[in-house]
Amino acid sequence: MSIRTTVAIAAVAAALSAGIAQAKDQLVVDLVNEPSTLDPHMQWNPDSYYVYRNIFDNIVTRDNGGEIAPQVATEWNWLSDTELELTIRDGITFHDGEALTADDVVYSVKRITDPELASPQLGQFAAIIDARKTADNKVVLTTDGPYPVLLAQLVKLSVVPEHVLATVSEQDFNANPIGSGPYKFETWDRGVSVTLDKNDDYWGDQGEFETVEFMAVPDASTRVANLRAGTADLIVSIDSDQAMQLESAANVKVLTAPTERVAFMGMNTLVPPLDDPELRRAAAMAVDREGIALGLLGGGEQVVGQMATSAHFGYVDGIDPIPYDPEQAAEIVAAKGDAAAVPMTFATSPVFDQRIVQAIQQMLNEAGFNVDIGLTDMATYLKKAQNADPEQRPQLNFGRWSCACQDVDGVAFPLLHSSSNWSRVNDPELDALLENARTTVDSDQRLEDYARVAEIVRDNTYILPLYQATALYGAADALEWQPTANESMFLNRMSWSQ
Amino acid sequence: MGYFLLRRLWQSLITLFGVMTLIFFIQRLTGDPTYLLVPETATQQDIETLRHALGLDRPLVVQYLDFLWQMVRFDLGTSYVQNVPVSTIILSRLPYTLQLAGGALLVAVALGLPLGLLLAIGNRSRLTSPLMGVVLAAQSLPTFWSGILMIMFFGVFLGWLPPSGTGSWLNLIMPSIALGLLSMATFARIMRSSVIDEMSKDYIRSARARGVGTKRLVVRHLLRNSAIPVISITAIEISQLLAGAVIVETVFAWPGLGLLTVQSVVARDFVIVQGVVMLGAVVTIAMNFLADLLYSLVDPRIRLDGATR
Repeated sequence: MSIRTTVAIAAVAAALSAGIAQAKDQLVVDLVNEPSTLDPHMQWNPDSYYVYRNIFDNIVTRDNGGEIAPQVATEWNWLSDTELELTIRDGITFHDGEALTADDVVYSVKRITDPELASPQLGQFAAIIDARKTADNKVVLTTDGPYPVLLAQLVKLSVVPEHVLATVSEQDFNANPIGSGPYKFETWDRGVSVTLDKNDDYWGDQGEFETVEFMAVPDASTRVANLRAGTADLIVSIDSDQAMQLESAANVKVLTAPTERVAFMGMNTLVPPLDDPELRRAAAMAVDREGIALGLLGGGEQVVGQMATSAHFGYVDGIDPIPYDPEQAAEIVAAKGDAAAVPMTFATSPVFDQRIVQAIQQMLNEAGFNVDIGLTDMATYLKKAQNADPEQRPQLNFGRWSCACQDVDGVAFPLLHSSSNWSRVNDPELDALLENARTTVDSDQRLEDYARVAEIVRDNTYILPLYQATALYGAADALEWQPTANESMFLNRMSWSQ
Repeated sequence: MGYFLLRRLWQSLITLFGVMTLIFFIQRLTGDPTYLLVPETATQQDIETLRHALGLDRPLVVQYLDFLWQMVRFDLGTSYVQNVPVSTIILSRLPYTLQLAGGALLVAVALGLPLGLLLAIGNRSRLTSPLMGVVLAAQSLPTFWSGILMIMFFGVFLGWLPPSGTGSWLNLIMPSIALGLLSMATFARIMRSSVIDEMSKDYIRSARARGVGTKRLVVRHLLRNSAIPVISITAIEISQLLAGAVIVETVFAWPGLGLLTVQSVVARDFVIVQGVVMLGAVVTIAMNFLADLLYSLVDPRIRLDGATR
């Protein structure tokens, strides 16, 4: 090799390595689908909020540790059990240069709670009956009763500009959203990608990337290929097999976070055979949850003994799961004879991991139950599960639940309170505790209530908590980011290591 | 000719009406989209409010009549999920589908026709069986599998082509091949049997007797006369390509109408599905009509009124 060639190769290598070491200007994120909408009051699905949460500021937020932290509101103060006063931050501007004021906060609350808008998120904020400005930087929210989960819900309430929405249609706003967040909307190439640009005037921590492109890549294998080929820097929604594939590949890594999502097997306690508490207990004993978490999933999922994770307010220490004991389960079922042989349908949808559903079905049948799988599309599954008549709701179903509020109320109330359209439980004591915990501002009292709830649910086996789900992401080696329990993706909390 | 056109037009309208009615009712036999639009924690009242806002609480017959009235005015409605006019969504995705279908057709024709001709002319030679085997294998490979293999080999291992997405003509290569291979085999087989068929005809024999060279024979006579079945199959294949695009578009994250349909079916976004199916029906009907028209141009013996001289 001549000296000239050697020098040339060295120069190219140096240039390349310098390129690698340089901070990246553009970040590419592969989502499953494109956002349904970028109007933060309209749609509630991960692909939408991964994107719009970076365009808009919320009233409050959660830090990486999961604590509620100031965002648009710098302080909050309970004036009474039903009135919360918010102090609005000075110096926030929307991306069009206009200042964000207390009026915008009032407008945003009124907009999302207006039945005319028919926001799919209405239920999360339905307790708010009024919002009013009391000073230039003060807003008071009134609820229809004491509502301790209000702040946790405000983490999801984005502030939109009144002056823009007063002049453009909702469709136009969705096509060109203007927020006050760390990233500005740039373009939306329908079906392909959404591009955001860094907001240089952001009041808080600025993002490191000049532009961020969110791509819609429906197939998980393709997302993995994109990451390995370097055309994506961060990918969402992979399973443990794909994570293993990435762990052995060069220049990429797997990021995981235990989430606030609890997987469970729902049981209809109102109809035979599971109206018998002993049979419910037998069903719980028959299911090998460790086996499911470690053997089938293997992504770091943790078996739980209650419908909550340590990321929730209201999680109780010391509630142990009902132990796995297939022999005893089979004995109980055998002793019940015909009562246990009543055919049951295990409702599920392709959205859920069918390996788990099939494993549970097999375990239950081995114990002597008579379970068939009822697989339908998601919309039909949801409709069945929320049948107006609780006795018509499925005898068994598999679900994964997150309220994105990190409060037990968001999980336990809809699944266990007799008035809820998901519940198949009717226990006055449980109802009273859940109601009390929902309408008491006193945190200690609420914790006490939830401790009792967890005990009642376990002792009566009203529902079978399975495991705390883990979120798995694939990322370029150089991407520094800590995923969180609430599955958010704040771009200004990411950086590129040198 | 005029009578024929009118009759075909009338038949087309009846077909469209049938497709419209079928797609409307079949979709509504499946799940209610409202449940997919609200968070799991939504109350029954939230669900009812949204259902009312979307007009899904009206009697089915009223919804159907409303839908027909929209169609008469060429109004495809507004997406439930995205709150954007369906025509806007479809128009934004259509160019991608056309690019992909065009690319795939090019692959299919460019590989399929010469291969078919080769197989016919070299009939009963040693190469015939292996080549037919290759053709059949190409047709039998599941697209999602061959697609992923291509992505891993050319996209990740060799790094020659972008694994997925859009943006440059390089992005079009792998999805076009994945989709085109399916039709390539069909073209090859049709071309082969058509050429074999023509070769046994008297005019070929007499041309050979007159001393016409093979090259001239193939170009001047065989190709032209073998083209008729190929033209009709092209029209059908274009419709097939649009249908096959569903999987290819999903694997390669190619944002055409196939992917849009899958996403809309999953989300129960009835309005988009209706729009795409209507477009598909119109294209299929138009393609068949075009094939009829082309027949008569290629072979003057065929008249549009069906009478053969």
